[in-house]
Amino acid sequence: MSEVSGERSGIGRDQGDQPSPAPKTEALGMKTENLSAFYGAFKAVTDVDMEIRPNKVTALIGPSGCGKSTFIRCLNRMHEVVPNAYAEGCVKLGDRDIYARDTDPVTVRRRIGMVFQKPNPFSKSIYENVAWGARINGYRGDMDELVERSLKRAALWDEVKDKLKKSGFDLSGGQQQRLVIARTLAVEPEVILMDEPASALDPVSTQKIEDTMAELKERYTVVIVTHNMQQAARISDYTGFFYIEHMNDPGRLWEFDETDKIFSSPNRKETEDYVTGRFG
Amino acid sequence: MPRETFQRELDQLVEEVVELGREVESSLGTMVEALQGQDGEIAKREIGVDSRFKERGAEIDEECMVLQARQAPVARDLRLVYTVQAVTNHLVRAGTLCEHICHAIVETGGADQDSDLSATLSEMARGARSLFGEGLDVFESRDIDRARDLEAADDKVDLLYSEAMNLVVNPNKEESGSPEWRVRAALMVHYLERIADHGVDVGGRTVFLVTGERMESAMRQYRERRIDSDED
Repeated sequence: MSEVSGERSGIGRDQGDQPSPAPKTEALGMKTENLSAFYGAFKAVTDVDMEIRPNKVTALIGPSGCGKSTFIRCLNRMHEVVPNAYAEGCVKLGDRDIYARDTDPVTVRRRIGMVFQKPNPFSKSIYENVAWGARINGYRGDMDELVERSLKRAALWDEVKDKLKKSGFDLSGGQQQRLVIARTLAVEPEVILMDEPASALDPVSTQKIEDTMAELKERYTVVIVTHNMQQAARISDYTGFFYIEHMNDPGRLWEFDETDKIFSSPNRKETEDYVTGRFG
Repeated sequence: MPRETFQRELDQLVEEVVELGREVESSLGTMVEALQGQDGEIAKREIGVDSRFKERGAEIDEECMVLQARQAPVARDLRLVYTVQAVTNHLVRAGTLCEHICHAIVETGGADQDSDLSATLSEMARGARSLFGEGLDVFESRDIDRARDLEAADDKVDLLYSEAMNLVVNPNKEESGSPEWRVRAALMVHYLERIADHGVDVGGRTVFLVTGERMESAMRQYRERRIDSDED
């Protein structure tokens, strides 16, 4: 284990109380090898080899139903939450296999946070939304400082600092999404997974989320599923294109490259057809 | 196919560029004829084309800007819009140089000339026009195989350039032409060499359009690929 060390970085079983997560800058990357995902007998995604670079934004694009969301859920073991769903192959955070037998999925999900399409704040105050995750993970530091830091990193602090006791539901959709991001950041993850985080938001809120992402990658590794081509082109460093060649086939990672390459001269025709909107 | 309107707009853009290019090529043909016959009357026909070419170029530029704003082109579409803008610039520049040459022919009509230098100028003009036309053909057909030949043809024009410059610097003592004509001839030599370069650049831009690689790198890869396939 070269990069993952110490209690905070460990992804074995939780040991109960944890030391305060120290602010960090360098995050861990991820890697999948021959990753396939199933829903019972149905194979949704097959043989994905992908290297997710640390402190970079990786965008996953592709037509609906080609396995992007399934794949991203495999990255923090959310996929197996669905009855009969399972994954095969290897997913590593740093050098550690997150599917290893001694790995606790709950700890994995703390280290690899997730933000969904629809903002899902808890039915609690803005403050508690952020503090709660850290508290149940045994955070013993200055909670006020942690809440402020997390809200600042999610670019929400200035808008909510005077109403921290108000309910998270009082915020607008875009603010709620940034609150969820702040909640995710409060437990100091290595990786943040985002499944269409801005698709339900207006352009101004979308812009704020995109600006937030540009700052997040300084401290975290970010993976985002998006149907918005321009968003992928704007915010990501690497882009993976998922594609199903024939109906009923599982989705495959069709092309993976630097975003500039994917959006200027991709190697495969299907990728070019998709990004230029000539699909179908 | 989705994005039919967008595709139609792109096709139309390419048509407009080719049309502009053919007009410039036609002006170059007139320029060659005027130069060969030292005919100021023929050259006069092309005085004023420059502003027309520039106007057309500006219209194409505007269309490219609107397309980018409305359609957010990426990949091959982005390369096409980018290439159209660059190619249009080369075409308009070549048109401007053509008018400069025609001006020079008109203004030096009747002046004493150096027949050797005159002959070299005419040969250069034919070479430059031909290269320009071939560059445009490559763009229209996207046949980048032919882009390889442009550089060889340009070497020939460059040789004529050296020869013409040598004649400018070392005039034939018995028939050196008037000083004004010699100065104009030197400028025409330079303009013709630039017109040929614009033709090569149009071909090079097409290589980028098709492959996404700059011409030099794309051609190197292409040559390596050909060698491999020959071995199969």
